[in-house]
Amino acid sequence: MGEKKSDVLQGTLDLMVLKTLHAMGPLHGFGIARRIEQLSEDVLQLNEGTVYTSLLRLQQQGWIESKWGTSENNRKARFYSITRLGKKQLDLETENWERIAGVIGRVLRLERQG
Amino acid sequence: MRFLRIWTAKIIGLLTQKRQDHEFDEEIQAHLHDLTERYRRQGMSRADAATAARRQFGNVTLLQETQRAQRSFLSPSEWWGDIRFGMRMMMKKPGSNAAVIIALALGIGMNVAVFSFVNALLLRPPAVVGGMGSLLEIWEHSRVSTGVQSYLPFTYPDYAYYRDHSRSLQGVLAFDGDGSQAIWNRSGEGQVVRGELVSGNFFSLLGVNATLGRVVSPGDDQLVSPRSVIVVSRAFWQQQLGADPGIIGRTLVLNGAAFNVIGVAPPGFAGLLVGSAPDFWAPLTLQQQFTQDKDRLTDRHSSWLIVAGRLRPGVDKATAQAEMHVLAHQLELDHSDSNKNLDVLVYPATLVPGPYRGYVTAFTGLLLGVFVLVLLIACANAASFLLARGTGRVREMAIRSALGAGRARLIRQMLIESLMLSSIAGLTGVALAWWIAHLLLQLKPATIPITLAVPLDWRVMVFALLVSFATGIIFGLVPALRSAAVETAAALKEETQSAGLRKSRLRSILLIGELATCVVLLAGATLCVRSLMHANSIDPGFDTSHIAVATLDPGTLGYSPEKVSAFYRQLMDHVRALPGVTAASYVSHLPLGTAQDSTSVGKHIGHDPDQVMVDVYRVNPGYFATMGIRLEGGRDFTQDESENPEPGVVIVNAVLAQKLWPGQDPIGKRVALGGAKATSEIIGVVKAGKYRTLGEGPVAVVYRGTLPPDRTLVIRTSGNARPLLDELRRTVQMVDPMMAATGSQTIEEYMALPLFPARTTGLLLGASGILAVVLTAIGLFGVIAYVVSQRTHEIGIRMALGARQTDVLKLVMRQGLFVTSVGLLIGLAGAIAAAQLLAPLLYGIGANDPATMTAVAVAVTAVAMLACYVPARRAARVDPTVALRYE
Repeated sequence: MGEKKSDVLQGTLDLMVLKTLHAMGPLHGFGIARRIEQLSEDVLQLNEGTVYTSLLRLQQQGWIESKWGTSENNRKARFYSITRLGKKQLDLETENWERIAGVIGRVLRLERQG
Repeated sequence: MRFLRIWTAKIIGLLTQKRQDHEFDEEIQAHLHDLTERYRRQGMSRADAATAARRQFGNVTLLQETQRAQRSFLSPSEWWGDIRFGMRMMMKKPGSNAAVIIALALGIGMNVAVFSFVNALLLRPPAVVGGMGSLLEIWEHSRVSTGVQSYLPFTYPDYAYYRDHSRSLQGVLAFDGDGSQAIWNRSGEGQVVRGELVSGNFFSLLGVNATLGRVVSPGDDQLVSPRSVIVVSRAFWQQQLGADPGIIGRTLVLNGAAFNVIGVAPPGFAGLLVGSAPDFWAPLTLQQQFTQDKDRLTDRHSSWLIVAGRLRPGVDKATAQAEMHVLAHQLELDHSDSNKNLDVLVYPATLVPGPYRGYVTAFTGLLLGVFVLVLLIACANAASFLLARGTGRVREMAIRSALGAGRARLIRQMLIESLMLSSIAGLTGVALAWWIAHLLLQLKPATIPITLAVPLDWRVMVFALLVSFATGIIFGLVPALRSAAVETAAALKEETQSAGLRKSRLRSILLIGELATCVVLLAGATLCVRSLMHANSIDPGFDTSHIAVATLDPGTLGYSPEKVSAFYRQLMDHVRALPGVTAASYVSHLPLGTAQDSTSVGKHIGHDPDQVMVDVYRVNPGYFATMGIRLEGGRDFTQDESENPEPGVVIVNAVLAQKLWPGQDPIGKRVALGGAKATSEIIGVVKAGKYRTLGEGPVAVVYRGTLPPDRTLVIRTSGNARPLLDELRRTVQMVDPMMAATGSQTIEEYMALPLFPARTTGLLLGASGILAVVLTAIGLFGVIAYVVSQRTHEIGIRMALGARQTDVLKLVMRQGLFVTSVGLLIGLAGAIAAAQLLAPLLYGIGANDPATMTAVAVAVTAVAMLACYVPARRAARVDPTVALRYE
């Protein structure tokens, strides 16, 4: 019962990854996973591997780009950063998300009243 | 846009697969390492930490797999697996698969064959010529007439004007469009060779250099004392000159004059015009050595030059066209008689001259359209075959889907199978196309001096590839979508019948489409074949057997008129003495050929409201008897009358007689020929025939004496005309070793020329009609047979409950006939519309010929009934006990 995870929608994960990169600057996959874990306060539990699926998807759309560099503990790591196109997309998706969230919120409130 | 970006990324992914796999591996390992470190810092043992890290990360192998699929299209091993599986499926049912492949191969093959002609005529650039992009074809165009007739080749003075005044073109070249024949004195014996007269800048503007020696230069092509030089074609040099490397500087005697061979053209080079393959090229200004008209270089009325120009760098076609309009206007002002209403139009240069391109495109486009329809019928067949097979594979799909195959994966599997079918069909189709193209080339009358290369080059191959691919997708997509939309749970419960009804409705729609297309094609084909039969039975007005013909032109040898007459007299004496010859004569040119001569005729000199245009033939005595043209009144010419330049007598055909003196006897009446100073007496009337085309209406004709030096010899024999041709060749050589007859052939061979368009169209469309009927019958049969096999159980129950055999027969037939009648109705409507397109090609029947439409409807119904009857009878013979036991 307590093991039940909230399903992370594909588009949602992409949006979170994009926002994380926007807020934090270039990060590697491990860092992104940590950041999402931290922010979600264990409400969202995901297989960290799916972050990479999301990263590849974002990269193919041209919204993020990657570069090999050295991590804080001096290991070779691939760093991802948001592109100009990605920022534009992020604005668009954020707006979308807020609109939908607003609608759903209104609908749910309505239900409680009735 | 986003779609494009992803695909580009995927294509790059495909190319860099190995490296990316490796890099991704490193990335995962680093991530896992960091996670493990974190758990160890929290106090876990090394083993526990590693396990926890893996749990948190998720399934690594699965991730790698999805990454690979996402990064590129699919892993090669998966493709290979699908292909292998497809092959196994194909080998399971080789018979029915082979049937589908053969049907598709025929469809693809016909399309590729027709396209190879489109390519040869319209797409392929002239061999060897460089920079086609900046080459323009230039035509004079009469503002006051329409159609092909409104386009004129250039006169030499006009050509020279544009050559010297154009600023937008860096050079303007010209060559004689009809080509020039010459008699080559090959060590004492005459042999006919074909040449092309070209301007001095012809080769240099086309960027063509000689492989041996040099090409014709502007210095050779001078109006005053031109040099007698020729460049020979590679083929001529190899086949006739023994590939002699020392040929440069040697002389060939053509038409009795010596020509210096200055060069050998590169292999494959055949000039700018489709169908021509000259043996040699000579300077334009040598024109007098090759033609009877001695003044073509100054005559402002003699249109004989095809002209092309190369744009200066940085100048576009529109600019050149604008300049041409200005120049044309100037010429119109300067020469108001000859150039009145003459404009000039430019076209991008291709092998088919600009004015004709539209017609060639329309004709080949029509054929291509017809065979695309045939291919669609084959596609519909293949689709209904796959649909039927799909129902048999519902369980397989259900199991695959239960084991985790996604919808996309199932669709891909099915599409790969259909693409495999279509690629095998495509390969077979290309082989078929090669054979069909050769077969079609053989239809061309051997005597038309046209050589057409129909190579299966890369354009044809790309076309074949695209057609095969499109075919595979078209017939495979719907069955694939259907198979993938399987309801796993239901299907696994062995209820394979559940989806049957919906699928058979889809197949019915396919069948209706197939039947409708078939009716359209069959109607078109029948119309063409009937028109061909009509054309064959049209009376051309002369006999089409027991006659041999040959063309002679001693004028090119520079003989005096006396010597020409003497030659013809001697030849006639020898020919009449040949065994079997019953009559022989000369005529200026044969009817239904490419040459024409016309003038106006009135009742009196000067202005005459009754004036009519007539075709003119110049004949010797005995022409009518030889050709079997009946003399309806009066008499033939005498020898004197036909040799006298102003004989004052003519013979007319019945059409002219009827036009000028309806209902009266024209014998003894007088007519004024255009430009003549005195009227001539009509001494005879002959039966009218066909003169320009077999489909034409009545044409008025005047026969006169006074033949030109180039003539056609006609010989009538009591036996077979073929052996006479060899005798004729020998006789010509005997009378004058320097002479050679061109186009010596039997009248049957000659008639292949006027019948050529009808024959080719008839053959191709006939083939398309037969293919359509066969394919549709197979499709109908297959579907009905399948439905019957699906309903065996139901039929068994019906029979057990008392249905008789005839009831079952009716039940099955009704289903097939419903589809047939709907398809037939749609098809007939389509056929009536499509027939309008064919109307100009048809001889002697209207486009909406009711007899044809009825016959097609009856034939299609009969074939459909037969295709339904065979499986229906099988259904009626179902043994109820067997059918019911079969659960």
